[in-house]
Amino acid sequence: MGALAEILFGGLFQGSLYAMMAVGLALVWTTIGVFNFSHGVFMMLGAYLAWQLVAFGLHPAIAFPLAILATAGVGWLLQATVVRPLIGRANLVLVVVITTLAAGSLIENGVLTIWGPRSKQLPPLLAGNTMIGSIGVSLHQIAIIVVTPLILWALWMFLTRTRIGLALRAVAQNEDASQLVGLNVTALYGLAFAIAAALACIAGIFMGGYRFMSPVMGADPLLKALIVVVFGGISSISGPIFAAYLIGFFEAACSYYFGLYWTPALLFAVLILTLMVRPEGIFTSRGRGLA
Amino acid sequence: MTDMNKRVSGAPGRTSWQREAVGFVLGLAVLAMLPLVFTDSYSRHILIMAFIYAMVASNWDLSLGYGGVFNFGHLALFGIGVYAYALLTKLAGMDPWVALVASGVVATLAAVIVTIPILRLKGIYIILVTFGFAQLVMQIIISQSDITGGTQGIVRIPGLYIFDHNMVRDGKIGYFGIALTLLALSTIFLRVLVRSRIGASIVALRDNEEYAISRGVSLVRQRMITLAASAFFTGVAGAFYAAYQRNASIDVFGMSLATIVLSMVLLGGTGTIYGAVIASFVLTVFAEAMADFGAWRPMITAVLIILVMLVYPSGLVGMIQAAWGGLGGRLRRPT
Repeated sequence: MGALAEILFGGLFQGSLYAMMAVGLALVWTTIGVFNFSHGVFMMLGAYLAWQLVAFGLHPAIAFPLAILATAGVGWLLQATVVRPLIGRANLVLVVVITTLAAGSLIENGVLTIWGPRSKQLPPLLAGNTMIGSIGVSLHQIAIIVVTPLILWALWMFLTRTRIGLALRAVAQNEDASQLVGLNVTALYGLAFAIAAALACIAGIFMGGYRFMSPVMGADPLLKALIVVVFGGISSISGPIFAAYLIGFFEAACSYYFGLYWTPALLFAVLILTLMVRPEGIFTSRGRGLA
Repeated sequence: MTDMNKRVSGAPGRTSWQREAVGFVLGLAVLAMLPLVFTDSYSRHILIMAFIYAMVASNWDLSLGYGGVFNFGHLALFGIGVYAYALLTKLAGMDPWVALVASGVVATLAAVIVTIPILRLKGIYIILVTFGFAQLVMQIIISQSDITGGTQGIVRIPGLYIFDHNMVRDGKIGYFGIALTLLALSTIFLRVLVRSRIGASIVALRDNEEYAISRGVSLVRQRMITLAASAFFTGVAGAFYAAYQRNASIDVFGMSLATIVLSMVLLGGTGTIYGAVIASFVLTVFAEAMADFGAWRPMITAVLIILVMLVYPSGLVGMIQAAWGGLGGRLRRPT
């Protein structure tokens, strides 16, 4: 019983973080058709901005939303400078990989220069600990588990119920047709990047609340998000969300039964096997679409 | 990827091989003269590192530029070369020269293994799987710390030797010679390959997969050949790096090294081989010239990479061609 509770809780917690990161990656891929390798850096930058605002004396309830907005702005800016000018290039995917990597390196070193290498920590969403059955958990973790589905649900509603959200999905499905019916495709590209950056910032705030922050803290979550989108299929939003939780549970079970060291290796082995059998991911049909 | 660099590498054999051979020998002669100008061991160290980067980057150009296969595990092949050499010489007690070649073979085998899952995949999925492969290799090395030293790495790896000559003596002239020889061999191998019928079929698969297959080009076989061929000298370069540095660490699997080498390939202009070699020199020397800037160095490098990508889509080779017109660029013009 203890084992099951531990795996369930660990899986839900890790899955929430992965889902938060992976959805942003998938959002950018589906709308623009590029892979944003600075997504992990967005997460790190968001956490540092939040930390700085809290250090200025702002209450987290004000500081965190401000940090999310600021990170969204950086996301929009990055899109305008290193992605949009390249649209239309024959080797777009590859060139954007290198420009977003370079931009990520720029931001990462900038953060290192401004805030230094000393570890920092954010205030948790909720302070304190509690017991669930026989396992001890922090309220911060519980808050993450509860808040994440709400945010994802809000994103889902935005994409399926609002005009702008529908426009984003239209661009994802057929860019030329969207342009023909008068949608501002350029602005929607910027919006997709901004939303993705905002989601990454939220993940950064989650992570900064229970672990020490460092300028390279985004690298590992980016990697996990990559696995999640491969596993769940990159061409939708719901696929990666399911996959994020599935991988969260898989990891929790692996580290419980086989130990922490073997978990990443097992995860990658499963990933490669999955791709050999179902290259388009396990939760999707073929084709691109934001749903 | 379909019509990428068609202008540059679309027609193998455009430059006659005699003309290219003259250019190659001239370039090699210039490089071989460099130790006469740079006599201190520090400058030569920079050159040796540039040769190693040039090998890795130009071999990556074979799979990425010619094959159009986004192999993001290329640096893992380099890392496999590093660790294969370290383990073969230190644990198995193999002769360093034999181990140098054996490491290339090990990297080639690893490339064949990673090719299997990507045979059915395209574009972004190849990036993700090969990226995953690189991480898998790194995780295995970390978790098998009894043999590989884990995150501590391996130190005191046996170096290369020529009779009783101390390779580090005389401003590392011995290592300089070996590095240049390896780069020359690797470049000849790559150029002969891309100018051959196999090279033409690899480019054909990149440019129009359906048509190439319908004309009897085997996707499975050519993709195997592309990745395996790009792996051998990459593994040898890794082994040489291990022998030269005399230590191995998991840093070779990190994103920062991959970013630098990838920018060498893309800055040079893909599908040229020579472009990657030139860009490796430019970037390595540039990084050294910027050493005084400290923390600003990676930021300036990042900005420059972005600027070149925005302004010159075909990379440094395209820039040189544009600048020199038909005159000086003639010898350097690839294929």
